[in-house]
Amino acid sequence: MNLDNDLKRAMRRESPPAGFAERVMQRVRSGAAPASGAEARRPKRPPLHWWRAAAASVTLAVVLGGYAVHRQREGERAREQVLRAMSIASEKVAYAQQQVRDIGSH
Amino acid sequence: MRKFVMTLALISIVAIPAAAQSIRIDFPDLEDRAEEVVDVTLDADMLRLGAKFLSGDDEGERAVRDMVKNLEGIYVRSYEFSKDGQYDHRGLVDRVKSQLGATWKPLVTVRSKTKENVNIWADMRGDRVVGLVIVAAEPHEFTVVNIVGPIDIDRLAALEGQFGIPKISKERNRD
Repeated sequence: MNLDNDLKRAMRRESPPAGFAERVMQRVRSGAAPASGAEARRPKRPPLHWWRAAAASVTLAVVLGGYAVHRQREGERAREQVLRAMSIASEKVAYAQQQVRDIGSH
Repeated sequence: MRKFVMTLALISIVAIPAAAQSIRIDFPDLEDRAEEVVDVTLDADMLRLGAKFLSGDDEGERAVRDMVKNLEGIYVRSYEFSKDGQYDHRGLVDRVKSQLGATWKPLVTVRSKTKENVNIWADMRGDRVVGLVIVAAEPHEFTVVNIVGPIDIDRLAALEGQFGIPKISKERNRD
């Protein structure tokens, strides 16, 4: 019987203290989170400054941009080399073929 | 296990000659004497990269792109001299020839007292040409070209004069 009474007493409805709802709404409006429980125990992260993020972005952009420019230059140079090599090779082969044709036509 | 090793050995024997062959075309002694040197060294990676930058709108460049896509390398050395008799033509031809294996066949030999001498060898696998060596000699100029990979010689000859490069410049171009 005692246990029943104890439970009823513990579980009985209780009105909040005066001004509770107002305080809760005020906190919601201000955006402040309650510093309690696990959240309060979690180690605080250092704040991420916007300028650090910006500097990292700029550095990344410069590195990627530099690589793209380097690759573009390398590609253009390779293109020129391919054309030059094929130009020399085709010139020599065409000359040899022409000589063979000339001999054949005589 | 023994069967596996035998199969592997057989594959190696078949696969090695099937790969196109590149040869040494550097002549340091000529380089010292030459007035100008053209040195083009394009391995498979550089060929692919260069091909990406070839225009698809230009007919000549499109033809080159199609031709180089299956190649494994193109190597060119061209030496220009200020006066005649700066190199031993026959000796150089022999040096190139000595590197060519049994699959290499002489394709064209042009001998001229007044014009250019040209030797062309093809690396033949059946009726397929999988490599080409061109040696061209003029009194003032000696050129060696080694194309590694399958190549259509008629299509190569047809490319002559199709490029935006009006005259092949003979500058010292060590890349």
